[in-house]
Amino acid sequence: MGFTPEFFLYAAIFGLTYGILLQKADFCFVASVRDFISVKDSRVGKGVLILVATVLLGWGTVLTLGLASIEQVWTTPIGWSNLIGGILFGVGMTIAGSCASGTLYRSGMGYIHFWIVLASMIVGNLLFSFIYNPWAEDYYFKPLLVTDQGYSLFQLNLPYLFLPLLIVGLMIFIAIRQFGIKGFFQGFKESFADFKGNPFKKEHWDIRLVAALFGITATVQFVMMSSISLTGPETRIGGVALSLIFGDQFVYNNVYLNQMFAGFPVIGLGPEETLVIFIIVGAFLSAILSGQFRIRKPKAARMPYAIGGGLIMGVSSRMAPGCNIANIVGASGLSVSSIIVIIGMVIGVVIVTAFVFKMPLLLFQKMDMDMEFEMES
Amino acid sequence: MGMTQEELEVLEPDHVIDAIGEVCPHTLNMALAGLKKAKIGEVVMEVTDHSIATKTIPAAMKMNKYGEVLGIISKKGEYKIYLKKN
Repeated sequence: MGFTPEFFLYAAIFGLTYGILLQKADFCFVASVRDFISVKDSRVGKGVLILVATVLLGWGTVLTLGLASIEQVWTTPIGWSNLIGGILFGVGMTIAGSCASGTLYRSGMGYIHFWIVLASMIVGNLLFSFIYNPWAEDYYFKPLLVTDQGYSLFQLNLPYLFLPLLIVGLMIFIAIRQFGIKGFFQGFKESFADFKGNPFKKEHWDIRLVAALFGITATVQFVMMSSISLTGPETRIGGVALSLIFGDQFVYNNVYLNQMFAGFPVIGLGPEETLVIFIIVGAFLSAILSGQFRIRKPKAARMPYAIGGGLIMGVSSRMAPGCNIANIVGASGLSVSSIIVIIGMVIGVVIVTAFVFKMPLLLFQKMDMDMEFEMES
Repeated sequence: MGMTQEELEVLEPDHVIDAIGEVCPHTLNMALAGLKKAKIGEVVMEVTDHSIATKTIPAAMKMNKYGEVLGIISKKGEYKIYLKKN
């Protein structure tokens, strides 16, 4: 990836596309786990599975065709740090009410709550950068490290499409067992139902179609630019803000931020940061077109959730590393560290749903009208 | 289930839940708590500006049968979700 104008243009187009897609499907990754365990709603969960299937097949195909190389697959060193970072990120996003991508599209829809979450996340990113050297490096990453190198199962000596076809085949098999062949194909038909008339005026598009389009966009981005990431670029946006206040040298003196800007010609916003900003722009335009934009003022009592959840997400996204989207796409790129992070995130969401929000967990319990659920004022 | 927008406009709810400014999971928890307070057959209406609540609340009704969704009025990023307690 370079810093030439065309990369900034690609980044803007990818960002706009993601923003529109996320907003149109209300694609919230917290909901994919929380709503499934609490009210057995699998709408977003299905979306996540279709995203995984699309990216698996997409990555497998472009690697097979030689359009991208195995070095481009995002992997990070494997360790217990992946699991701990993932759990904390899951806790943070459930408290905040939104994952990294959800925070961006809802910021574009006018939610002040998520502007605060986003700002808190960036503060969290920067807080981490100040404890990285030497503490986090010596007492967190190093002792928990299992392998120095990242690893993707695509590196196994198998045809690139072997594992994707196997996993997606298994997913289709389970889906057909669950819904029948007719139901399976009916799902395809239903997912296009929102495209009659002008789709941009519609409030909602079927999440299954959106997930497939998201996966295709992520695959094109993978070939042309990079694997999608949000919190890394957000950390650099925070770094740019710091450089404006304290000067460039201040940022270069910080070991963590110095690494984050390695390969950057100057301290400034690159294509990936542009992409993140354009997700907000895309969601804003999308919400305006369908009449859903509105400045949504949060309740003061919820501010501790927005700030606390955002800070936890910011710090833990550096510990894992990566956000929900980077790791779901990363796990679909068969990166072992991302698979571990995602397992951690699911655990985190379950913990907060059950013990902080004390929601009825219908998945694990029999229906009971008298079940207690608490409502904080 | 399923009232027209005109029918909903004139419907007088027995309980109104103000969830403006709330996000998940509070929007859903408040609807559930409101239904718990209501008597069978009463109409509970939640006003929210959280778009995903228009998906999670109907999904919850489908799963736990606390109530049924009569319909949703959507106007400029604000949603009125009408529920009837079963």
